[in-house]
Amino acid sequence: MPKYPTEPLKCWKKAKELREKYYRDYASASEKGGLRWTGGAWSFDAIPAGLGDDVYPITGEPYSASIAFNKPFSMRCLEETEARGWARDLCSYMRNYWGSMYLSEFNLGGKYPKPDFAFQDHICCSHGKWYQVVAEYEDIPYFCIDISVGPYNELDEDRLMFVVNQMHESIDWMEKITGRRYDDEKLIEAVRNDCRSTSTWADICVLNKNIPAPLDEKTMYSLYVFGTLSKHSKEVADFYEELRDEVKDRVERGIAAVGNERCRLMSDTQPPWGFLKVFRYLEEFGALSVGSLYTFGLIGMWEDKPDGSWGPRTTPMELGVPMGTRDQALRVLADWSLSRPEWQHFYDADLKSKMMLRIVKEWKLDGVMLHMNRGCEGLSCGIAENRLAIAEADVPVMTFEGNMGDEREFDLAKTRDRIDAFMETMELERVEE
Amino acid sequence: MTQEYWRWKEYNWHDEKIDPRAGKSISAGCDVGSVSSQAAIMVDGQLYAYSNMRTGSDSPNSAMDAMNWALEDTVLKIEDLHYVVGTGYGRVNVPFAHRAITEIACHARGANFMYGSSVRTILDMGGQDCKAIRCDDRGKVTNFLMNDKCAAGTGRGMEVFADLLQISIEDVGEMSFQVDKEPEPVSSTCVVFAKSEAAGLLRSGWPKNLVLAAYCSAMSHRVFTLLERLGVEKEFAITGGIAKNVGVVHRLEDELGMKSLKSDYDTQIAGALGAALFAKALYEKQQAGK
Amino acid sequence: MFSKFKQWYENRHDYAREWKERTGGKVMGCFCSYAPEEILVAAGWLPSRILGSHEPQDVSEKHIFGMFCPFCRDVLAQGLKGRYNYLDGILMTQACLHLRQSYMSWKMHVPVPFQHYIYMPQKVQTRHAVPYHRSELVKFTKALEEFSGIRVSDDDLDRGMTVVNENRGLMRQVYEYRKEPEAKLTGQEAMWMTVSSMWVDKEEHSSELKRVLEQLPDRAPGRDTGARLMLIGSENDDMPFIELVEKVGATVVVDDHCTGTRYFWNLCEHQDDRITAIAERYIRRPACPVKDWEERTRFGHILELARDFQADGAIIIQQKFCDPHECDMPPLRKFLDEHDIPNLMLEFDATTPLGQFRIRVEAFLEMIGQEDLF
Repeated sequence: MPKYPTEPLKCWKKAKELREKYYRDYASASEKGGLRWTGGAWSFDAIPAGLGDDVYPITGEPYSASIAFNKPFSMRCLEETEARGWARDLCSYMRNYWGSMYLSEFNLGGKYPKPDFAFQDHICCSHGKWYQVVAEYEDIPYFCIDISVGPYNELDEDRLMFVVNQMHESIDWMEKITGRRYDDEKLIEAVRNDCRSTSTWADICVLNKNIPAPLDEKTMYSLYVFGTLSKHSKEVADFYEELRDEVKDRVERGIAAVGNERCRLMSDTQPPWGFLKVFRYLEEFGALSVGSLYTFGLIGMWEDKPDGSWGPRTTPMELGVPMGTRDQALRVLADWSLSRPEWQHFYDADLKSKMMLRIVKEWKLDGVMLHMNRGCEGLSCGIAENRLAIAEADVPVMTFEGNMGDEREFDLAKTRDRIDAFMETMELERVEE
Repeated sequence: MTQEYWRWKEYNWHDEKIDPRAGKSISAGCDVGSVSSQAAIMVDGQLYAYSNMRTGSDSPNSAMDAMNWALEDTVLKIEDLHYVVGTGYGRVNVPFAHRAITEIACHARGANFMYGSSVRTILDMGGQDCKAIRCDDRGKVTNFLMNDKCAAGTGRGMEVFADLLQISIEDVGEMSFQVDKEPEPVSSTCVVFAKSEAAGLLRSGWPKNLVLAAYCSAMSHRVFTLLERLGVEKEFAITGGIAKNVGVVHRLEDELGMKSLKSDYDTQIAGALGAALFAKALYEKQQAGK
Repeated sequence: MFSKFKQWYENRHDYAREWKERTGGKVMGCFCSYAPEEILVAAGWLPSRILGSHEPQDVSEKHIFGMFCPFCRDVLAQGLKGRYNYLDGILMTQACLHLRQSYMSWKMHVPVPFQHYIYMPQKVQTRHAVPYHRSELVKFTKALEEFSGIRVSDDDLDRGMTVVNENRGLMRQVYEYRKEPEAKLTGQEAMWMTVSSMWVDKEEHSSELKRVLEQLPDRAPGRDTGARLMLIGSENDDMPFIELVEKVGATVVVDDHCTGTRYFWNLCEHQDDRITAIAERYIRRPACPVKDWEERTRFGHILELARDFQADGAIIIQQKFCDPHECDMPPLRKFLDEHDIPNLMLEFDATTPLGQFRIRVEAFLEMIGQEDLF
């Protein structure tokens, strides 16, 4: 008998619809005279929002993850990219994306919808280069904002302004290439939504401190994704508030994600998308991943709370920060975004180790499983040091090698063996059904 | 002694109809590869004799053995050769060679001779490496790509497999077609991984020919990706030992959507033949310069 | 003629220790060729680029995941093995993720009195890059002043600029002799020179360059130049490889890599605001691919070098797993093809598989030359 009651999420259907609408909107934007742009999941998507309500992005990472689920198509994409001379060890998201572009096939059917422009930000070395290649191939204009100005705890006016100045520059550029007049009101609204979405997502993650956890990480993957698709949109911000209420309700009623929860873990970096069954496998031992710095902090915005815990960052709206002008809105957006937890380890692995250990403590975890992800140089940056720091803190830690978007670099059987061994060291046996 | 399934037959040949003593140029090439060595002797640009054998423990002796065996039963001695070019992995260690030229250049030149001047793309599947070569109508290399990091797509990889499945290497190709339906290729082309994957398939009850089909298919796909990176232009030809393995060749042709040229010459001597042709050109230049 | 450079190249640690003893100065270990050497020289520090030793090693495996480049792991290994235990400081000028990890781990596991990370712009193509980089360099200068208890004046900075510029200019003069039909020096000699300049006191290095420049015009190379090659790639000071290339009928006459021209090619132009001048020099220098977007500016520079030095072909020396360079690779090769520069791409690990490279290099040379075979 499971220890805890479980039930499916009510807003599951809505999530599915929202996701489908996102890709449909993008694909059909041109028919209605709208604009399509492409860029990264971390792009300042609030900025193009000032061009009008008919401007739709497609963000590369989640799109490529969706390709990775479709193994035969993914394989064709990867091989097409390789046939054009690109190295096989490059970012696997990038290679899937390029492959889809080269083949001119859209993962959701039909031809790959050509974007009108590319708008990216740059913190990982592959970021700026990814859309350089896209812009050259598609022959579209491209702008990329450099955000690699150091960790948030060292942020000062010069560093902030380097980002803000480029944001201003990007708006001038957008007006020029689209011929549209930029609407600051729409920007301000989008920045508010961005702050609301990303803070609310952190709020949802906090609820997972509860035992039993109301969500498991596999489910969270399908939900955090909206923050990577369109964090600036009202739909996403509203959806996250609705989701938060539902998860809160689950906590109050003691609903668990996994009925047999008895071992709480976290992972790290993107999972091997084609093999999420690894997470189901954990459940056979009554183990679950309740999240990771990745699911919490890729999109979620965090801060230290007065009681010393880690919680959602207080929004500029709550603080009454003025946001009436373009410049004020951009400053808010830059400062807000630069505090993103997953942007800190690019300069110092230690900052990430500290956040990870904090999650271990506050989310009451029993162990950590690190995905040594050959597909992502950005999120794997410093991961070996993270492992050492976690082990040094006497937290059980296992690693498994793989690749988020290239199934040729993931070995399911071997990973299962590793999990078995890890469970053994934690003295967990399979749960009798 | 247990049977060595990987072992292929060594042989030599010469053309009784040619009188080498009447020739103006007697040129030779000696291709010392990591797995096999060949020698080819030409008289006025016509193939007169050749040999193909397993490479021994050191290059100079292997070169000597191959050349001596090619000369065996002929009227020639090694001193009669006007000009010799060494090629292959051991090219700089051919004691009787006048010059060393890479097997990449020699295979292109050899293929041009064997298949005619329309050859533009050559795949050389050797013992421990695999080369994709583009050339012009003289057989001069214009571009090439090489995989020598792993045994995937190489003769050695196929030998390992033949041994594992206990099937004579010469039968591998035909047997791989004795299946009702083409299986999914083994997912790994790395020989070590593929071997353990194949062992797993056998344990789970797959018949040998199905496992072979899955491996041949993986291997042809692997070399296909190499060719694709280089770009394939017609006409296309395959040299080296694996050209004799229909299991790989047919699958590769299917994937390329292109037939490979056929030749009456032995595909394994392409390198030695190219070397002998270069030797002829160099000898003639030398004579003219005198 | 180049033996002094070779000696410096081979005995980098002895040199630094001896320099410290002789001058009482401090040594800064620099992780990237973007380090603002003018400021270091102005402050009386010796800039010393940290490079790997090209030996197999297993000490950095647990600190840097194996998907990152062999170079960054080799660099860290030098620190972990204590070979740089004389350093007074380490300096990261924002580079690729690979090299940053060497810095991060070094900082954590190899005690050094002073550490600084300059958050240099990755986007050097925006007009905001120079003022922003200036602000980073000001912070760095202040940190250096505080640590060493000195003040770096405009005069000091002028001296720093002059000393570093002189060294750059002299190396460019030496490069001129590589343009001659019979190159006066080999690629290996040039590499001893450029790489040693990354850790030898600039003034000392410059006086050796002056000595060499006096003798170079009369030098008989004593060897066939053969095919004239350009080397293109990431960090590379792989001496056995250059030696191999130059033994099989070719001479390396020019390069685009960060232990070569990218490091020293352009000068620092004087401006009233010295730090702006220095910032500008590094923002405008021939770009590392990690900073070469949205436009590709590298390729034009490569073509110019190839033409000026009459390169017959190029060998692209690609550091394994180096993402930024890999992101330039197919477009670069296409560009070279379009400009009739035959090119060969080789993937480099910390150690060089000479046999595997030799056949490729020889076949490449046969491809671009050796018409006598037909």
